[in-house]
Amino acid sequence: MQYKSQAVAKPYFVAAIGLFVGQIVFGLIMGLQYVVGDFLFPALPFNVARMVHTNLLIVWLLFGFMGAAYYMVPEESETELYSPKLALAMFWVFLVAGALTIVGYLFVPYATLAQMTGNDILATMGREFLEQPLLTKIGIVVVALVFLFNISMTMLKGRKTAISMVLLLGLWGLAIFFLFSFYNPHNLVKDKYYWWWVVHLWVEGVWELILGALLAFVLIKVTGVDREVIEKWLYVIITLTLVTGIIGTGHHYYWIGAPEYWQWWGSVFSALEPIPFFAMTIFAFNMVNRRRREHPNKAATLWALGTGVMAFLGAGVWGFLHTLAPVNYYTHGSQITAAHGHMAFYGAYVMVVLTLISYAMPILRGRAANSPKAQVLEMWSFWLMTIAMVFITLFLTAAGILQVWLQRISDTPLGFMATQDQVSLFYWMREAAGVMFMIGLVVYIVSFFVKGDKVAEA
Amino acid sequence: MRPPPALPRLRAMGHDTTLTADSTPRLSGDLAVWFFILAELLAFGVFFAAYAFARMRHRELFDAGQALLDRNTGALNTILLLSGSALVVRAVQGNQRGEGRRSARWMLGAMACGLLFVGLKASEYAAAFAAGISLSSSLFHMFYLSLTFFHFMHVILGLVVLAVLWQGLRQDRYRQDANPLESGAAYWHMVDLVWLILFPLVYVIH
Amino acid sequence: MSGTFTKSMARNIFYGGTAFFFLLFLALTFDTNQALPKRDNSANLTPQVIAGKKIWETRNCIGCHTLLGEGAYFAPELGNVYVRRGPDFIKAWIQAQPTGTPGRRQMPQFHLTDEELDNIVAFLKYTSEINTANWPPNIEG
Repeated sequence: MQYKSQAVAKPYFVAAIGLFVGQIVFGLIMGLQYVVGDFLFPALPFNVARMVHTNLLIVWLLFGFMGAAYYMVPEESETELYSPKLALAMFWVFLVAGALTIVGYLFVPYATLAQMTGNDILATMGREFLEQPLLTKIGIVVVALVFLFNISMTMLKGRKTAISMVLLLGLWGLAIFFLFSFYNPHNLVKDKYYWWWVVHLWVEGVWELILGALLAFVLIKVTGVDREVIEKWLYVIITLTLVTGIIGTGHHYYWIGAPEYWQWWGSVFSALEPIPFFAMTIFAFNMVNRRRREHPNKAATLWALGTGVMAFLGAGVWGFLHTLAPVNYYTHGSQITAAHGHMAFYGAYVMVVLTLISYAMPILRGRAANSPKAQVLEMWSFWLMTIAMVFITLFLTAAGILQVWLQRISDTPLGFMATQDQVSLFYWMREAAGVMFMIGLVVYIVSFFVKGDKVAEA
Repeated sequence: MRPPPALPRLRAMGHDTTLTADSTPRLSGDLAVWFFILAELLAFGVFFAAYAFARMRHRELFDAGQALLDRNTGALNTILLLSGSALVVRAVQGNQRGEGRRSARWMLGAMACGLLFVGLKASEYAAAFAAGISLSSSLFHMFYLSLTFFHFMHVILGLVVLAVLWQGLRQDRYRQDANPLESGAAYWHMVDLVWLILFPLVYVIH
Repeated sequence: MSGTFTKSMARNIFYGGTAFFFLLFLALTFDTNQALPKRDNSANLTPQVIAGKKIWETRNCIGCHTLLGEGAYFAPELGNVYVRRGPDFIKAWIQAQPTGTPGRRQMPQFHLTDEELDNIVAFLKYTSEINTANWPPNIEG
């Protein structure tokens, strides 16, 4: 560890992994509810489980991003963090606010929670992924602003690298576009239109800047390739990302009441969205092939390469599958959407956060890399989780194709629930793959506690 | 975009620092701008393909819409953009001869062409809007407005680039390193090239 | 073929390209806002519909259902449920939950008043009249 204050990243990473476990537990519960409908009902209705599953994902990724920034920015700026104390304080604020919100979801009826937390003053709740009570939303903004202040001040007093600039731009964008979560017009079409300014402009916009910055940082460290080379490719890739991704928002505007030209604009630009992901894959492999050193942390390199491949498959290929308007007309809101969502989030964001944790955590614990034994275990968890996610995606895609066929294309369309019964075999298989994912996650956590010979001192 | 005969002279001027072997052809402009140009051409290309696809299925609608477009202004615009590109080439060549400051006027000429294009296009849009044409009025108008407006914005961005280059030339900043100049010029030529496809496709061919 | 590839050029193109495409997106958004009133059924946005939307939100309906194809994929699409089932069926259905059939997916009982039921039905009617470019492909959603 080059700078003492980088240590504040550690609790962020630990919290991220802890919440990740929670996310998967609720995912497994939901997966079971898909086939055993009354499982845990009425104690835990599906909508509550789903809210916890998706909100935990967002929160733990945010913990991951913030931890990553606290780790990376001092090193990039070549200076201590502006205020480690503030960073730690915000950690506890965010963790407690997040935990209270989850407890609220689980133990208070949602309508009561809304009433208790000021939803009548400004109604923002009850929209997918933005279910958080008003107070939590305000808390997120406050934490984000304090965090950005801390990071920006650190950068201002130190070296300004392309990686930290791109990271900071992504993080500022994240905070700014989140503000649209406070805009909830009565007009449903406008509500949906601007809802995507949070959701799409996050995951297919500013988050990709964060993704690019994290990946570039780890690649510089593990390959020893010249910073100049990596940074200019980073710029090229994120340019392609935003050139395609911003107008690509249009692929969400086909069937929600927006003008029909979005079918053309959205199709044209989102058809190009796989390109930046493909470029990122090529980039990652190229840099590793041109490596100038053999970094002892093989696991981190594996995660970095995995991010490239899985982000391309999940976001690029599975996104493209149903992004063209004539196809999306049939697949919109089906299990195909769910398949894409799972693999894209895992491949792009889960994996990049795990890449950074894999690289930084051993250093935060006082060594350049974990023991070979621990690394082998971590690589096992990589394969278990990644292959499990491939299967989850394939089964959901199969379920989705069948669903679309039975419910929307066939001459004698079945109703929604009748269709669900027909595809239940695939839901069972998905649940089995989910269990495999959980095993991978357990192995991942175990790998942190495996001792063995230290590889090198940090 | 530059014709091959220009290359030997350029090499003789010794402006290219990255040249390894004399026989290696050199890419004019920064690789980064070429990535961007390729991405833009791809976006336009897919949009053109979508136009062709839609036109195939709505022949009459497209022919009727096209008949109402002002082809003369379109032709004039084509001439303006071609002249603009030629002037940019003059400016780049002038800079290669070491006459950066003097060739700024060529760049100014190119900008005048671009500005005239913008003016003519703006009046075309004003007439269209006055006639109640919008992105939602018909599939043909959707494509007509989308493609031309997407290109129109490129012309404006191109003008911003040319203005920066003009400033640079006036201060003779590209004497040692012509890379920014060549990159900006390549971008402008791309904007020109797209129009050369767009104009016949939307205004003429039926 | 050799060439120059500089970080400053890549950076400038990134900033310029991003600003360009964001402005284009804003222009399209402006046009969308102009064109929306013809499609979004906002003329029928009565206080009852607005109250219904709030019930829709505060019961987290989106946590199981889709609305115009967005939401969870656990329960039926409701953007066109007004057309598919009609107002009386919708009210009766909500009141009859949960069915309690073993092994079947269950919808919670929300204890809505008659007025609230009318509000949610009004909201679903309004939603079903939004011009969605003929989506969903058929009545089953």
